[in-house]
Amino acid sequence: MTPREPAVGTRQSATGAIYDLGYRGYDGPRLGRSAAVSTLFWWSLRAAYALKRSGRAKIVPWGLAALLLAPAGVSVAVAALAPSAPSPFSYDNFLWNTQTLLAIFVAAQAPELVSSDQRNHVLSLYFSHALERTDYALAKLGALAAAVFGLALAPMLVLFIGRILLAADVVKAFGNEIDRLPEVVGTPLIYAIPLAALSLAIAAYTPRRAYATGAIIAVFIVGAAIAGILGEEISSGPFQHASQLVNPVVPLDGTRTLLFGGFIADSPVEGTGFPLWVFGIEWLSITIVGTAVVLWRYQRVAA
Amino acid sequence: MPLIEARALTKRYGAHVIALDALTLDVEPGIIGLVGANGAGKSTFLKILLGLLEPTSGSASVLGLDVTRDGPQIRQFVGYLPEHDSLPPDLSATDFVTHMGRMAGLPAAASRERTAEVLRHVGLYEERYRPIGGYSTGMKQRVKLAQALVHDPKLLLLDEPTNGLDPAGRDEMLELVKRTGAEFGITTVVASHLLGEIERVCTFLLAIDAGKLLRAAPIATFTERTGTLGVEVEEGADALAARLAEMGLAARVDGHAVLVDVSDESLYDLVRDAVVDLGLALVRLEQRRHRLEDLFRDETATDAANDAA
Repeated sequence: MTPREPAVGTRQSATGAIYDLGYRGYDGPRLGRSAAVSTLFWWSLRAAYALKRSGRAKIVPWGLAALLLAPAGVSVAVAALAPSAPSPFSYDNFLWNTQTLLAIFVAAQAPELVSSDQRNHVLSLYFSHALERTDYALAKLGALAAAVFGLALAPMLVLFIGRILLAADVVKAFGNEIDRLPEVVGTPLIYAIPLAALSLAIAAYTPRRAYATGAIIAVFIVGAAIAGILGEEISSGPFQHASQLVNPVVPLDGTRTLLFGGFIADSPVEGTGFPLWVFGIEWLSITIVGTAVVLWRYQRVAA
Repeated sequence: MPLIEARALTKRYGAHVIALDALTLDVEPGIIGLVGANGAGKSTFLKILLGLLEPTSGSASVLGLDVTRDGPQIRQFVGYLPEHDSLPPDLSATDFVTHMGRMAGLPAAASRERTAEVLRHVGLYEERYRPIGGYSTGMKQRVKLAQALVHDPKLLLLDEPTNGLDPAGRDEMLELVKRTGAEFGITTVVASHLLGEIERVCTFLLAIDAGKLLRAAPIATFTERTGTLGVEVEEGADALAARLAEMGLAARVDGHAVLVDVSDESLYDLVRDAVVDLGLALVRLEQRRHRLEDLFRDETATDAANDAA
């Protein structure tokens, strides 16, 4: 393409004569599809944390981050003041006990990422840029999963660093704890991926933010409630514990146990007596079906 | 090579609705008016060019690239202004246009720089830092134009750019479109159902009706003089027509006017005298030009078929 000469002139406008440099062409690099996808990913990740957004938009994500970090901090402080007392939280049970906060996060922020683009018809602008519909869906999904991962990882790292620094022999403790790093990083990942897939699959279906938030919360509450009711109704027989599979958060702990071991007290995973791979399969199913639903939705949504 | 090539392009919605019916056309550089009634297939055509819709059959290429296969490459070089509202209310124009520049493949710094330039070009100044939600319709249309220009497209597709604007806003937007297309050499396709707007800014006209190409020609050929004299009178058009017919002239009544076929200028005097004899109040005596509206009134389906072939 031949560069265009800038047209220089003055122009009258409502605010008086403006010295107009005119329109200039652009001959620099065009980075194409991959750059568009990564731009959308980072843009959406920032939106999930409400960075560069109004104070009101920050309340939910930042408030939840504070609520997640507080128990981790307290746990470290307790360990520092009373080394002999049993610690309430460890890598295995921390996210299980704070799962409600993660569920609230996806319920609030999954619609933030996708509903407004649909409601305001911004999708027609996205889809007329250098990416495909599939790219949009995957960038949003990746951004939400990354946001949940970051939120869940932060308190785990607080526990991790606390345990190292509070040990009598820091070097030896570092050696011990570093072996558990896969669990510290892996557990947040196990929670983040299906939570993102499940919540985005719901949020992608409605341009109304409040409806999406309500529907996502309902899935978690109703899932747990049905599991509880079925558990009482079916008190014996081969399906006695199958009700736990209806609760969407149980496979998260089941998969964690499958990969890193260690049953935890409040989780129904051990009580079911199921082989752990059952939870792994369910985890995979939620992830795959959720992702497929999101992709399918964005193939068809009008733009 | 034409910028846009469509070959037997067809789009059906369901079994009965045909939005585009074997549309075949070429678009050469310039400012092209794509005119047709609502539902004629204008928006569908633009969306297929962008890869937003899949054609049912036929093919189309933009900048030599196939629309169904090379969507992202094409869209790096195409700017699109959609017909309807499409802006997020909570972002500022600067943030949003910069983001869209990056979505088109510009590096971050280049996108920021060009955003400042195009927002100035479309006439948004201090308000560009405020959330778009508080903008007037005219300002929103300018933001939509800015995001279509930020990546310096080779082709600009504008779908009803004056949608929802008041007369002054229309004038400003049309002036902006004209400037962008003519001075900066960006080939621009303006889809509109308003012939007057097309006439003002475009150099070439594509008329479509019911998904078919009605006519494709430079604007000038539509507005040539005809051999028809329009005689507008306050009343008594029928009497005048009868008198002129008696004098052997081909005359027909059209509202308050009588249209007379005149082959040579001496006949003007006869017409004038006839008006005077009848004692009618003459409002206007003018040589009629072709009007773009005639396209949709007079052209028949057979002409359309000939043009499309």
